[in-house]
Amino acid sequence: MGLLRGRRAADDQAAEAVDQAAGAVDAVASTAIAAVVPRRRVQVVGEVTRMRAQPTSGLPALAVTLSDGTGTVVAVWTGRRAIGGITLGRRLLLDGVPRRVGDRLELVNPAYTLLDR
Amino acid sequence: MKVVIAGAGSVGRYMAQQLRDGGHSVTLVDNDPGVASRWNKPGAFEGISWHIGDACEVDTLAAVGTGDADVVAAVTGDDEDNLVVSLLAKQEFAVPRVVARVNNPNNEWMFNDMWGVDVSVSTPHLLTGLVEEAVTIGSFVRLLSLEGGRARLAEVTLASTSPAIGVEIAQLGLPRESTVVALLRGGHVVVPRGDTTLHEGDEVLVLVTGDAEDDVRRQLVG
Repeated sequence: MGLLRGRRAADDQAAEAVDQAAGAVDAVASTAIAAVVPRRRVQVVGEVTRMRAQPTSGLPALAVTLSDGTGTVVAVWTGRRAIGGITLGRRLLLDGVPRRVGDRLELVNPAYTLLDR
Repeated sequence: MKVVIAGAGSVGRYMAQQLRDGGHSVTLVDNDPGVASRWNKPGAFEGISWHIGDACEVDTLAAVGTGDADVVAAVTGDDEDNLVVSLLAKQEFAVPRVVARVNNPNNEWMFNDMWGVDVSVSTPHLLTGLVEEAVTIGSFVRLLSLEGGRARLAEVTLASTSPAIGVEIAQLGLPRESTVVALLRGGHVVVPRGDTTLHEGDEVLVLVTGDAEDDVRRQLVG
C-alpha cells in the first residue's frame, strides 16, 4: 500500500502547508485543470461550482464539479450523498487519477483537502 | 491492447493464452510463487509476462504497468480480492475497462460501478443460463450482464409458436431500449438487418436495457 500511504502523507503535508500559509495555495504544487492529462495523477485546486447526488447502479454517489477558471473536473465519491465541509463555493485541493468520461474529466474517489476561501 | 490479469488460476492462465494469441500484450499477476513455477514452463506461456505479487496492492499494480493498461481482469477465486483489484484499477489508475469474475453468485450485487467494475461475469449464472438455453426453446434466457446490470445480453430460440416468425426485424416493433445483435441460424452467424426475416429455430441474441425486457419477451416469445 506504499503508494496510497505516500499519497496520504502527501495530503497531510499539503494540508499542513495550507494551514501554515493560511490559504496561500501557492504552497501546493497543483496543475491548471486545462493542463490535466487523463490517467496521470494530478493535484488540482479550484472552487466547487456544482454538486449533485448521482446514484449509480442504485447506490449513492456524490458528483462535485470543481472549476479553476481554466477548466472543470468532476470528482465522484461513491457510496456517499454528502461530505462534511464540501459546499458550493468551497475551495478544494483534489488529488487523484483523472479519466475522460464523454466530454468531462472525472476523478474517482480523489483525496481532498478543504482550503480557506 | 494491454491487459493485466489478476489471478493465474486456470481461468487467468487460459485468458492470458487466448489474449496473447489474439495479439495482445498480457501480464499475469499472482501472489503465489508456486503457481508460476508450476505452470510457466517454456513454450506454453511465451510472450506472457508473469509477475509474482499481490494485485490488491497499489504498488504491485503500478509495477505491472496498470497505469497504461487498457483492460484489467480480476479473475481470482476470491470475490473480495476481485473487488479490491477492480476498485484500485478504476480509482488509482483510471483503467478504461475493468472486468471481474464473480465466484459466489450471492456477491454479484456488489460487482458494479461503486467498486469500479464495468463488466462482471458470474460463472454460476452463466452456467445456469447455458443449461436453460440447452433445455428450453422458446424462452428468454439471460446470458450476460453489462454496465453493472443495466444492460443484459439475452437469447431466445424461436419456437414454432413465436409471433416473430416470418416477420422482418424492423417490423417486430422492438422497444427502443433493445437491439438484435446477432442471429444464429443453422450454425452460422447472420448479421441482423432491418429486412432480415426471422425463422423458426433461429437463435436471436438481443441486447436489452432497463425495463424493455418484458416487451422484448412478448415480441419474441409470445
